[in-house]
Amino acid sequence: MTEMVNEQTERERHIRAYGAMILSRTLDRKIITAQRQGRVGFYTPSMGQEAGQIGLSMALDKDDLLFQYYRDVALMIHRGVPIETLINQVMGNKEDLAKGRQMPSHFLAEEQNFMSVQSPVATNLPLAVGAAYAVKYRKEDRIVVASFGEGSSSTPDFHAALNMAAVWNLPIIFFCENNGWAISLPVEKQTKVDIWKKAEAYGIKGLHADGNSIDDSYRVAKEAVEHVRSGKGPVLMEVRFFRMGPHSTSDDPTKYQTDIVKEGDERDPVVINERLFKEKGYLTDEVIERIKAESIRIVNEKFDACEKIEAPAPETMFQDVYEKMPWNISEEMEEIL
Amino acid sequence: MTTMNMVQAINHTLDMKMSADDSVVLLGEDIGVDGGVFRVTEGLQKKYGQERVMDTPLVELGIVGAAIGMAINGLRPVPEIQFQDFIYTAFDQIINQMAKMRYRTAGRLPLPLVLRTPYGGGVRGGIYHSQSGESYFVHTAGLTVVTPSNPYDAKGLLSSSMDMNDPVIFMEPKRLYRAAKAEVPEEDYREEIGKAKLVHEGDKMTIITYGSMVPTVLSTVQKNNLDADVLDLRTLLPIDVDSIEASVKKTGRVMIVHEAPRTLGMGAEISALISERMIEYLYAPIIRVTGPDTPIPYRLEEYYLPNEKRIAEAAEKILNFR
Repeated sequence: MTEMVNEQTERERHIRAYGAMILSRTLDRKIITAQRQGRVGFYTPSMGQEAGQIGLSMALDKDDLLFQYYRDVALMIHRGVPIETLINQVMGNKEDLAKGRQMPSHFLAEEQNFMSVQSPVATNLPLAVGAAYAVKYRKEDRIVVASFGEGSSSTPDFHAALNMAAVWNLPIIFFCENNGWAISLPVEKQTKVDIWKKAEAYGIKGLHADGNSIDDSYRVAKEAVEHVRSGKGPVLMEVRFFRMGPHSTSDDPTKYQTDIVKEGDERDPVVINERLFKEKGYLTDEVIERIKAESIRIVNEKFDACEKIEAPAPETMFQDVYEKMPWNISEEMEEIL
Repeated sequence: MTTMNMVQAINHTLDMKMSADDSVVLLGEDIGVDGGVFRVTEGLQKKYGQERVMDTPLVELGIVGAAIGMAINGLRPVPEIQFQDFIYTAFDQIINQMAKMRYRTAGRLPLPLVLRTPYGGGVRGGIYHSQSGESYFVHTAGLTVVTPSNPYDAKGLLSSSMDMNDPVIFMEPKRLYRAAKAEVPEEDYREEIGKAKLVHEGDKMTIITYGSMVPTVLSTVQKNNLDADVLDLRTLLPIDVDSIEASVKKTGRVMIVHEAPRTLGMGAEISALISERMIEYLYAPIIRVTGPDTPIPYRLEEYYLPNEKRIAEAAEKILNFR
């Protein structure tokens, strides 16, 4: 009986994981197409990184706090961020949680404990360390995750954050999403060492997973989460996968990349996990078809609806610089509007 | 009433705030066991423990970045940067994270955070322990920049800064840390952020200054019997344009005194504000007495810092302009 229940939950968990992957991929495709049609200004696709992100998400609790970066759409979707939140951000319309102030891909979803995305890479890492300090100080029952690409491992912020988190023995996972490329720079020109191995130099635990496998990423993320939750200190976890899209819609990877993983390729995580989940009996062709069709329908419907929402009112430009608007900004507002 | 110097007034204020609110934490280099290189945090770790007064690793961007994360997750951190000269590795964190967090989250993640840092010359610190970098911060939307010139204001302004739900750069003029004692009430009081203080009254000219230069300006005014309004700005962003306007319209002559280099210093902004709003009230060109556009040297520091002689000569010049 217990076994049957477990089997049932396992299946449901995997279907949900697969669903998030397909929804994320469908949203990526839609936004890229819309960008080419001139309906969206810019975008950094998460394509190729879905499985690793979802594996991490499966290991986390609702209350855990995330300082994510600009390529975490699958992670956000799996943790329950409504796709309207993401599309409104990309459109920069008046329903966007940040009032259209950031360029696309710089998401915020405070309700699902996602903090705000920044452009300067790795600057979220010291923030996550501070938040983890507060978790420990206030004896909160949660952990903190900071995600970033492998290019971030070269920055002073990466070093500062890992070192401080280690010294203070904080409940934090540094989640490195190694897609092999920092815009045009391949990982072998970024660093001489496997990123997860750098953990040793800081005296913390280093782990790595096959980021193309939801199950493997989940297995390792679970180990990381257990380590951190039990008070044993930070973990640096690296997942490896392929950046299937460009760095951003403003970039042409054919200029520097000869081997680009295309959708449907043997290295595409959708292909890999779909096959595996079918073999394990979690998915059937029928369920796959239904999930794919449903994702397209939802994405089209939500996108069309969000696209119709107007821009934020001009006066919002002058708000939220401070709690109270100072005289100089009031004057500038009057002058410009 | 107790008499305190500025170090004692700041220490006393931090102590008061920490005892009233568990979410107030201090972090910085050597601020705990050692009490800070200027002893501003002396005794606080002993009283409140290592969890609340943290000796951090030697990394300014980490101190500032961690403070931002603490503020996001419910604390009211007061990070210290040991010398303002060392703040630049944290510049990215200050400009791109700290100053913009409220804006880019539409008010969802405000940052109640006061970054304290000693600044300025007068202690023979040479080029890396003497800088006055206020303009870098005043140029950044989202920051509030405050600098006291005496122990009484230090307490009142720091208390107000720590009440705010926005990040404040609190610049402490290190040459005044122990320069003078003043009456500082033990009880709680506030000095308003964004309000200048008229510290000397006169009719013939307005001298606008702040922080480390205030005592020098006042002694010059007294020794030379200058009939001058002296305005201590106290807050550099937002600047108190109303107080400037009231005084300048009365006197028609303006001198601006600061230690920071002249080009794009506070004097430039103040001159522009006066030109835009009240140029028809002026009898003489605005004059700036400032540090030169050079680094601040070790042996020749006294030539760098504006002094009584330069201020008196400038006063003469604008008074006699025709």
